[in-house]
Amino acid sequence: MSRGSGGGYDRHITIFSPEGRLFQVEYAFKAVKAAGITSIGVRGKDSVCVVTQKKVPDKLLDQTSVTHLFPITKYLGLLATGMTADARTLVQQARNEAAEFRHKYGYEMPVDVLAKWIADKSQVYTQHAYMRPLGVVAMVLGIDDENGPQLYKCDPAGHYFGHKATSAGSKDQEAINFLEKKMKNDPSFTYDETVQTAISALQSVLQEDFKATEIEVGVVQNDKPEFRVLTTEEIDEHLTAISERD
Amino acid sequence: MDQVDFNAPHSMGTTIIGVTYNGGVVLGADSRTSTGVYVANRASDKITKLTDNVYVCRSGSAADSQVVSDYVRYFLHQHTIQLGQPATVKVAANLVRLLAYNNKNNLQTGLIVGGWDKYEGGQIYGVPLGGTIVQQPFAIGGSGSSYLYGFFDQAWKEGMTQDEAEELVKKAVSLAIARDGASGGVVRTVIINSEGVTRNFYPGDQLPIWHDELESHNSLLDILGAPEPMNI
Repeated sequence: MSRGSGGGYDRHITIFSPEGRLFQVEYAFKAVKAAGITSIGVRGKDSVCVVTQKKVPDKLLDQTSVTHLFPITKYLGLLATGMTADARTLVQQARNEAAEFRHKYGYEMPVDVLAKWIADKSQVYTQHAYMRPLGVVAMVLGIDDENGPQLYKCDPAGHYFGHKATSAGSKDQEAINFLEKKMKNDPSFTYDETVQTAISALQSVLQEDFKATEIEVGVVQNDKPEFRVLTTEEIDEHLTAISERD
Repeated sequence: MDQVDFNAPHSMGTTIIGVTYNGGVVLGADSRTSTGVYVANRASDKITKLTDNVYVCRSGSAADSQVVSDYVRYFLHQHTIQLGQPATVKVAANLVRLLAYNNKNNLQTGLIVGGWDKYEGGQIYGVPLGGTIVQQPFAIGGSGSSYLYGFFDQAWKEGMTQDEAEELVKKAVSLAIARDGASGGVVRTVIINSEGVTRNFYPGDQLPIWHDELESHNSLLDILGAPEPMNI
């Protein structure tokens, strides 16, 4: 009484294949890669930095409206890699959730609590036949009251982990290999080192030198815990520091 | 149909004031929270932050005004994140009045919303009991305000400086404290302008005193203006 191939539906909705795979979840990961963007996140001793490519595919597009980096609250940021539309709905829900948390419990939603909420939501999509997973990998960053700088990554499967450094998108494996070497001896990066490690990782993996307008950088620091998107001037300073260092 | 007697006298135990000046607003309040004749808190802070640039003066039921402020702060926070820039004073005041109007049967709170934004500068909005919203150059509220209508008619003028406006607010609150039993304690002021927010605190010894509040003297001879003995 073998089940055979499940009628071919195991590729179309989120049910198990005979080998125990969830094809829709795997396709969601492919969708993240297909977006053609790579993102990097690095956690330092007293800061966290995330970097992503700012690809403006059409010359007629207003580039100020192209972004993958979103403030969720004053203190939490979210970098969404993958399908932009799915990213926006995730961000909208995360903003509502974080604001409600603050109102209900009287303190700011911690980074890991938000990451867990996003992951739990993603897991639900992997169990419902009528809803597809989101084609987004979300990196959440913030300064935790008790644990200091935090970087979490949530994926379409519903996993979430805290990271010292991580990557998402089309060249994520190469980036992770690069970062593993950099983080090998458990370094304690200062704010500048954190930002420059993240940017130079992206440059090395994509094998191109960026202009300040071609990347987006978001940071949080212990002494400035509000989530901040760096201006082009600030990015330029870091790019210059990197090229002078090399 | 059971109706609360709206005509019964009810003290709102507070004096709150909001005044615009050339450059921003000054909000002021007393610090007495009373339960009947007992002063539950003699140093309360009735001027509450809604956003970095908008504050609200609360009067009436302490619980009702706190809950309204909490909800508005929550909505404004979301609005600010989604808008990508600070909320305007008008939006804050509007959210306050929507809550006040739609829940008018269950709330007893009069509020004065004041702040500064880059579009309209300093603004004051009064949101009294029923949930009306009215933008005014200055607004007064609470039980102590009854004693200030005539004072403001005479003392208010357009285009004051920051110091003049703060002096006016301080003087007004201290006048109301002198006459209203449900107002008392210290005077707190909050100044909001393009540069930011300044909180000030004036305890009794820094406030003017009025005719029948005698200043203490070492001797009655000082008041009577009599010459020193042996100097005749």
